[in-house]
This record gives sequence, C-alpha cells and structure tokens, in this order.
Amino acid sequence: MPSSQAPAAVIETTALTKLYPGNVAALDGLTVAVSPGVTGLVGANGAGKSTLIKILLGLIVPTKGQAKVLGHDCETSGERIRTLLGYMPEHDCLPPDVTATEFVTHLGRISGLPPTVAKERAAESLRHVGLHEERYRPIGTYSTGMKQRVKLAQALVGDPRLLLLDEPTNGLDPAGRTAMLELIARIGAEFGISIVIASHLLGEIERICDHLVAIEGGRLLRADTITSFTQVSQVLAVEVEEGLAQLQAELAARGLTASTHARTLLVPLGGDDTYDVVRDCVAALALPLCRLEQRRHQVEELFRDEAAGEEASHV
Amino acid sequence: MSEVATGVIHDLGYRGYDGPRLGRVQIVKALTWHSFRSAFGIGRGVKGKIVPALAVIAMCLPAFVNAFAVARGNPRLFGYDVYVPTLRVAVVTLFLAAQAPELVSRDLRNHVLPLYFCRPLRRGDYPLAKYLALTMALLLLIEIPLLILYVGTIASVKGKGAVWDETKALIPGLGVGLMWAVLMAAVGLVLASFTGRRAYSTGIVAISCVLTFVVSVLLIQSEGGTTATATGARIAGLFSPFTLLDGVRVWLGGTSPGLVANPGGYGPLYGVVTIVLLAACLGGLAARYRKVSQS
Repeated sequence: MPSSQAPAAVIETTALTKLYPGNVAALDGLTVAVSPGVTGLVGANGAGKSTLIKILLGLIVPTKGQAKVLGHDCETSGERIRTLLGYMPEHDCLPPDVTATEFVTHLGRISGLPPTVAKERAAESLRHVGLHEERYRPIGTYSTGMKQRVKLAQALVGDPRLLLLDEPTNGLDPAGRTAMLELIARIGAEFGISIVIASHLLGEIERICDHLVAIEGGRLLRADTITSFTQVSQVLAVEVEEGLAQLQAELAARGLTASTHARTLLVPLGGDDTYDVVRDCVAALALPLCRLEQRRHQVEELFRDEAAGEEASHV
Repeated sequence: MSEVATGVIHDLGYRGYDGPRLGRVQIVKALTWHSFRSAFGIGRGVKGKIVPALAVIAMCLPAFVNAFAVARGNPRLFGYDVYVPTLRVAVVTLFLAAQAPELVSRDLRNHVLPLYFCRPLRRGDYPLAKYLALTMALLLLIEIPLLILYVGTIASVKGKGAVWDETKALIPGLGVGLMWAVLMAAVGLVLASFTGRRAYSTGIVAISCVLTFVVSVLLIQSEGGTTATATGARIAGLFSPFTLLDGVRVWLGGTSPGLVANPGGYGPLYGVVTIVLLAACLGGLAARYRKVSQS
C-alpha cells in the first residue's frame, strides 16, 4: 500500500524564498509541512502559490531555503520528483486538433510509460475523470468542464504519488465545480494519491480538504487540519417564524448573547447544554421553530480577519 | 452516493502502475518519434499532410524523370551532390516553413509546454527531440530522391564497373544531404520557435530563407556568376545557409556546378561559418526553451 510507505510529510519547505528580478519576493521564508491526504493551498492571486508549485516541480530554483517532495530535494532530484508528481496547470494547455485519447497517451509516454501501458492508462484515466466516447473527438470540440477533466486525466496518467492541482475549478459553472471537487475528493480518498489543491476560493475547497495551508505575500499565514480551523467558531443557528427579538431577549436572560444575522439568531455553541437552553427558551415562548442547526464560520472569514490583522500590523 | 449524484463517474476502481518505467533516453526517443511523425502530418488531419506530401513529390519528380531518360539511353541528368539545387532550396524552404512551426510553435501556442516540463525530462530534452525529429525528416526528404536517382540510373547502366561508379558518386551526395538536414533543421527550428503564432512563425522561416538566399545569389551574379574567381564572388555565398552549404560542398571537393562560385582559398571560411551558424542556432534553441520552462 502506498500510504504505508508514504513519508510523514509529502511536502516540506524550510525558509523557502524566491526573489524575482527587481527584488520582488514571490516567496518570503516559507516554512511549511504538508501531510498526506487532500490539502488546500490557499491564498489570493499573487500570494506565491504558483511559484511554490514551480519550485516543487523543480522548474525554478529557490533563491534561498530548501524544498522537499516525498523526501526528495527539489533542487537536486527534480527528475525523480517529476516521475512521482502529476501536475494540472491553471491555464489552458490542450491542443485543439488532437483527440483526448491521443493526447493523454502521448503524455503518458513522456511520463515514462511503455507504449501499451500508456494506451491502457490513458483510457483508464479518461474513464476515471468521466470521459467516455467523447475521448475520441478532438479536444477543440469539448466544453470547459470536459477540458478540465482532460487536464486532470493527463496528471493522473503516470500513476503519481502526489497530484498538484492549480485552480482545478477555473472557468467551471457551479455544477461543474461540484462535480470536479467530488472527483478530486474521490481520487484523494480512494486512489491513495495525496493531493495539493491551489485555489483562491477557500469556501469551495474547504469542503474536500483534510488540511489547509494559507499563504499571503509569500509567507505562511497558517497551516493546520481543517477541523482545527473550524472548531474555533462553532455556532448554533436558530430560526423562528416570528418573535426573533423575544427569543433573543429570553436567551440573554438565560446568559446567552445571540447575534442576529438576517432572519437567523446565531448563538455561540458552548456545549450540549446550549441546545437545551435554546430548546427551553423556544418552548417557554411557544415560538414556531423552523431551523436549529450547528454551523461553523466559513473558514474564509477567519482568514480574512487574520490577513487583515497581519496587514494592519505591517503598516 | 456521490457516483450516483454526478452520474458520469463510475466506480470501476483505480489501479496503480508498478511496472517498469522508461528512462530519460527512451522518453526523448518517444518524443522524437512522435515529432518525426508529425513533421509528415501523421497523426494530424488531412490538411496537415498536404505540404509534406507535395514537398516529397516535388523532390522526387526529377529523379523519376531521370530514370525515364536513362532508360532511353541518355546519361544521368543530375549530379548526386547537387540534385537540381534551386528546386531543393525551394522545397526545403517550403517544408521548413510549414513543418518547423508544426513541431514547435504549435506547443507554444497551445501552452502545452508546462505539461512536458512537469514530466521527467530535462530542459534541453524537448528541443533536442524536436531537433532530431526535424533533422530526420529533412534527411528523408533530401535523401530519398537521391536513392531513387541512384536506383533509376543503375537499373539502366551496363556492367559492374558502371554500378560501382554510380555508388561512388552517390555516397558524397548522401553526405551533402546529411549536412543540409543537420544545418537547416537547426535554422528552421530556432526561427520557428520565436513565436507561437503559426502564421508569423511560418513567415519568419520562409522570409529568412528566401531573403538570405536571394541576397547571396544576387551578390554572386553581380560579381560575375558561379564561374567567377574574384574574391567578391568567392565570398558572396556566405550570406545564406543554402549557399553556405553549397560552398562547403565545393570546398570539400564537390564537382558539379551548384549554387555558388568556387570559394577557392575561402573554403575553410565557409566551413567555419557553417559550424558557427549551427552552434548559434542550437544554442539559441536551448536558450529559448530554458526561458520557457521557467515561465
């Protein structure tokens, strides 16, 4: 099983710095370790995500610091690393005049697969991403969603141990995004392949990630498991058809400060007894309760707050 | 569960691959073979095959005419080392202008290169494979007519001595073809890799080849033509890759009259300039892809 051999961290960087001409720091002393599983690499555009990916692929050399992928040093073992990696670029990278089968087979050869294996694995990868008869049509005739799937299939064809996906939901409609995210989650869960998803849409990828790494201005903002991100801020959303103000007052009387958010009351979730208090309040006032759900803050909001704090401390 | 919801993802299980993987050399070989095929439009639509087919037909036609003429008792129509020089210049220019962009600007235009460079290749491997592929394609384009010329001729000549004479004449001819392929592939690729826009790329290759050739030919003519022995005429061939190659051919002992005046004592200069041009083109190509792989 690949997971038993996997090192403790699939990616490890130490004080990684990349300066572009003019002393523009794309990465500024980034130290982070990424565990096996599905990891979201989040940050605004220009935060350094793509630079980090290029260093991990061994395509550019860091100015300072060290990066390791699956235990191999990126500067000295670029070739070895690239046999273990699958990379899905952010931008369009498909020729319109060849079929998906031909294209993915060809890239399978370039990944080092023997001819017949390349053919088999190309067919299989395309099937896994949900392309069937369409794969015999030129890629130019595909929808954006299908093209994204071909890009994912070419990353899978060489049987990588780690997938680097750069903005995999780019240009997709909501249904396409959901399908793509489910596909990625499935690859992570069932294929035994670790995945790093770079995205600026945190709200979207947090659904499928085990870990999150947030970078800002080339530096690490925070890296942790998704649960520790969300545990901080559990709230109970209470919705009643009428008497919102009454309920708020009643809750306050019993020691719970609830805030209103549109037509919902948000009650900080202390423990199980919070549920009881809310239930008793609603019962005492005989209000028509229509929703009672545990909710977490969107992780995005947390980052926004932290990023804003960071920025403020810089100024 | 999720498979049902999305409808298109079927759970047939993922299988890894633990079998042997090819090394870098074999990967470069695979890319070379793939590129070689696409130089002749194989694996592309019908449209992609038109120019290579026309080029091969145009190049071979004189050789077939020769076979016919020799069969009727005439001597061989062309020398192996020159083989209808102006036609060869025209066809090689056409082939390069159409097919060098097919090999390099197509990938640039479609931004496919990141998919190559994220695989176990080194930076120089991609341009190397493309160069080998185009050299092989040009070699085929140039040498096949020579072989047809040879076969067509020996089919009609009498006696073992005559066949041996033909063979002895063919070998330097093949050498000249190799020289052409090696230099012109480098020139064509470096020019084509400037831009991902196919039309511009074709234009750059065609204009560079035609313009330099016209300049050299005009200079040679203004200095007294290919039979002149003045210094001006001797060095006028240095300004275009085609005349440069012909100068080297004459310097190395090529007999038949070709594109340039005999370079005489300037022969080694032709040799040096040819090598410098080849090195510059290959260096330029490598530098071009070093830049691309990082962006």
